[in-house]
Amino acid sequence: MHRPRLSRRTVLGAAGLTAAPALLAACGGTGTDAADAPQSGGTLRAAFAGGGADEVLDPHRVNLFADAARAKAVFDKLADLGADMAAVPRLAESWTADAALTVWTVKLREAVFHDGGPVRAADVLYSYRRIADPEDTFRARQDLAPIDLDASTAVDDRTVEFVLRHPLAEFPSVLAAFGAYIVPEGATDFTAPVGSGPFTFAAFEPGRSFAADRFDDYWDGPALLDRIEIVVADEESARINALLGGQVEYAHDLSATTARANEDNDAIALVASPGSNMLGFAMKTDRAPFDDPRVRQAVFLLCDREQLVESVLSGRGLVGNDLFGLGFEHYADGIAQRERDVDAARALLAEAGAADLGIVLDTADVGSGFTEAAQIFAEQLREGGLGVEISERNADTYWSEVLTEGQIASYRSGAMPIASHISQRLLTDSPTNVTQWHDAAFDDLYLQLQSTADETERQGLYDRLQQRLHDEGGYLVWGFADWIVGTARNVHGVEQAPANTLDWARFDKVWIA
Amino acid sequence: MLAYAARRAGLGAFQVLAVAVLAFALVELLPGDAAVALAGDQPDPEAIARIRERMRLDEPALQRLGDWLGGLLTGDFGASLTTGRSVADILAGALEPTLILAGLTLALLLPLSVGLGVAAARRRGRWPDRLITTATVGLYSVPEFALAVLLVSAFAIGLQWLPPTAVGVPSLLAEPAVLVLPLLVLLARPICSIARLVRAGMIEALDSEYVAHARRAGVPERRVLLAHALPNALSPATAQIARTADWLLGGVIVVESVFVIPGLGTALVDAVNARDLPVVQGIAVVFGITTVLVNLLADLVAFRLAPRLELAR
Amino acid sequence: MTRNRAEFAAILALLAVPLGIALVGPLLPSTGAERTQPFDPAAPWPGTDHLGASVLDRLLDGGWGIVATAAAATALAFLAGFPIGLAAASTRRRWLDEILMRPFDLLLALPSLLLMLLLASIAPPTAWMLVLIVAFVNLPDIARIVRAAALEAAHHPVVDAMWLQGEGPWRIALTHTACSILPTVAADAGVRLVGAFYLVAAASFLGVGAGPESSDWAVMVDVNRGGIFLSPWAVVLPAALLVALSVGLNLLFDRLLSRREPA
Repeated sequence: MHRPRLSRRTVLGAAGLTAAPALLAACGGTGTDAADAPQSGGTLRAAFAGGGADEVLDPHRVNLFADAARAKAVFDKLADLGADMAAVPRLAESWTADAALTVWTVKLREAVFHDGGPVRAADVLYSYRRIADPEDTFRARQDLAPIDLDASTAVDDRTVEFVLRHPLAEFPSVLAAFGAYIVPEGATDFTAPVGSGPFTFAAFEPGRSFAADRFDDYWDGPALLDRIEIVVADEESARINALLGGQVEYAHDLSATTARANEDNDAIALVASPGSNMLGFAMKTDRAPFDDPRVRQAVFLLCDREQLVESVLSGRGLVGNDLFGLGFEHYADGIAQRERDVDAARALLAEAGAADLGIVLDTADVGSGFTEAAQIFAEQLREGGLGVEISERNADTYWSEVLTEGQIASYRSGAMPIASHISQRLLTDSPTNVTQWHDAAFDDLYLQLQSTADETERQGLYDRLQQRLHDEGGYLVWGFADWIVGTARNVHGVEQAPANTLDWARFDKVWIA
Repeated sequence: MLAYAARRAGLGAFQVLAVAVLAFALVELLPGDAAVALAGDQPDPEAIARIRERMRLDEPALQRLGDWLGGLLTGDFGASLTTGRSVADILAGALEPTLILAGLTLALLLPLSVGLGVAAARRRGRWPDRLITTATVGLYSVPEFALAVLLVSAFAIGLQWLPPTAVGVPSLLAEPAVLVLPLLVLLARPICSIARLVRAGMIEALDSEYVAHARRAGVPERRVLLAHALPNALSPATAQIARTADWLLGGVIVVESVFVIPGLGTALVDAVNARDLPVVQGIAVVFGITTVLVNLLADLVAFRLAPRLELAR
Repeated sequence: MTRNRAEFAAILALLAVPLGIALVGPLLPSTGAERTQPFDPAAPWPGTDHLGASVLDRLLDGGWGIVATAAAATALAFLAGFPIGLAAASTRRRWLDEILMRPFDLLLALPSLLLMLLLASIAPPTAWMLVLIVAFVNLPDIARIVRAAALEAAHHPVVDAMWLQGEGPWRIALTHTACSILPTVAADAGVRLVGAFYLVAAASFLGVGAGPESSDWAVMVDVNRGGIFLSPWAVVLPAALLVALSVGLNLLFDRLLSRREPA
């Protein structure tokens, strides 16, 4: 029997409370003010990068950070992710599984939509069925795939019984999937959306601005702010300028360079969440030259991770160990840190008959530091005798192209549970298996992991999977970038949290003093 | 004259269509399509195939172009591939800020650049000329983004005289202060190029026989300058001014992105990035119409200034 | 006269710095500085760039690329645009004028930055492609300006006189028209070259360029602008060199031309 990790949540919450003032102080933050009691009132204007005139308020169509920030102001999910990627209950009050881990019973908490109607099991099933519609293209469809929604039922108004297609020990993280929001049964028109979230919809102009007002009957207690406005500013420089010029009170996603330039600026505070964004390179393990594990290992050994973190991230990040999810639940921190060893790499390359190999490194301007990292990494590889040519691809279609084409490509990943990383990218039938890692034994091990109820036993399996990837996987993970948010001095309660987790872009606990 | 107008109008309509078709062809040639762009960093091939079907991208390109042209004839600009929002809606929303920017820029551009050009030509070779010539060339080589970074750093962040962006401003005209820096950036380069052309044309005209003749005939210098030399000097500049209107449309791409003004430039870049063909085509039509109209106007002005040119054609 | 000479010297000095760095810079040995933090305040003047590399090294290496790209693109554009504009203005056959100029009207109706954005996304990012694109973007302008200027010259009384004397249209175009429009065209050429510096820089801002590893002054201005508050030199120095080069070249052009003209 699985009890929801309520205890874990309290612990996390407490950790957050103690960590926040320390962090704010470390960033030259509010220090003494943060101890003051939260107060109600005021409007917070927050600047995010957006999607132009094509933006919509349909919470199941979220794609960008701005979409997610808007959706979470108006809607709730059954669960959300904590800072370590463990599922935290939201609209779900508790969840329990049967012994086989294939039938999960989820109890809903007492909550109401903005129109006064209660949140019912029928609303949950309607929302999930809408997302899973095979005729449509909702992003969370892939995450909900393990649920057999035809067999799943509403036991009563506040109890849902989910029937799964295969055992899933970590089913609660499915409930926290990106875009798996609960909408009222029958909702199809989202021009004036009705949700159960902390703010009620007020106004929306695609590509420009969004406004929502405090919902007094919110199940988690009413928000402190009267109103939240989300404005769109695509350029990072525009976001920081708007913050410095007093046009917004919150600027999302700032660069390390901006953070350094404003360290001593008394007008703003910076909130950095360490290790939020994985950065690395993906090698195709199914084709020459990287089908030879020795060549992959040589490339691992040629990478100077410290230099990349220093020069690309201005030192504002953590050094990676070729594994996803540093600091997250189930991360294999027992594996020794890999260090640069040019001689060993040369020896491996010679052994593989690839001493004067020439490779093409794909990159594109799809995120800050992307092409920069490729340039520095290419220099590092050349020091090992490899010939490297950098090929810059079109940014709009980059991800689709490098999924199937090329040899080695710049890669990044936002925060998600390690299990999601594996199921989306490392199984034979994974939809975005960019390293083309096809290994039946690995697949079996993962299936066994998801059928294992015992925590310790499961961690053992996690360690084995990650050891395998560390030894000869296709992902070279050189670092984890901090996620940096800037706020005006008078804004409090903004917690450090990786993007797309519960406390990220969470405005119901923020206040202005 | 009427026949001429009718011919130009017909030609203009053809030009606008051709521009839309050209934009369609160029975007079709870009790698990937709207489905791939929408999938972003979740390029699940199966999902992409489904999106493609939903957007009707699996139909042949020519058929889609034909459908769109057919719709255009009935005044239907089509709908965005990504959201299904009507393109006319998107255009209407984006047109206002861009029109304000471009209109104000053009209104300020003419007197400023002609004034500078004439001032330089009158004092040819002396320090005002040198100062104007040097400054305009120097400014002309500075790209808008660099100028914008500089101006924002100095006047918005450093001195705090002006707002750094137009974030959250409901209408540009409601808060004119946000317009100052964008207009300065937009004006900088066209002023330089037109002032130089006016100066070159004025110098040529001032050296010409008829100006010498007018002076000998005792026509006052001011009248020589404004009524005799300037009109002739302006004709090469008119072509450039017409070109500026087009250039403005490009320049606003940079200015809109730096100052966060959700106008046509931003809409265009977003649509190209999303491979949202109907939106790109709709914007191309708007750009095409503007350019055709401005060129027509420029030709009419040139005709008024120096009628013998058009007649001689 | 001495004032004139002093001015000439000033122009040459203005040009000598950027051109000298552009031509000799790539031959000089690199400073061998280790890669450090981007925009490192502790690094020796003029600091480090967005990759933590020495700005000095980048400046020395980065002049040649932009000078060559801009010059090649401008030359190419004039090589194609001048004859077209001249022919369109000189011909007395209206259809030839139309055939030559109408396609440019079409191109002109597309904003040049959009054209550049689209073309460069389609074509592979190489230095030559950038030259072609910048030349292509400039071509319609040049043809139109040459035509407008030539039209005026071609209908000068002198031309009618030559015409009456039985001179062929092409001879008139080459001897009289081409010469008489030279000042206007040369003034334009100077601005075009400067415009080409601008286009290369704008291309970089739009994410279009000669690949991520190319380094030139225009690209430096773009990629380092994020660190302007930490270390302004990585932006200011290349920008200053570009401006000096532009101003120097134009003043030189103007001077050479005014000397040739009869006073």
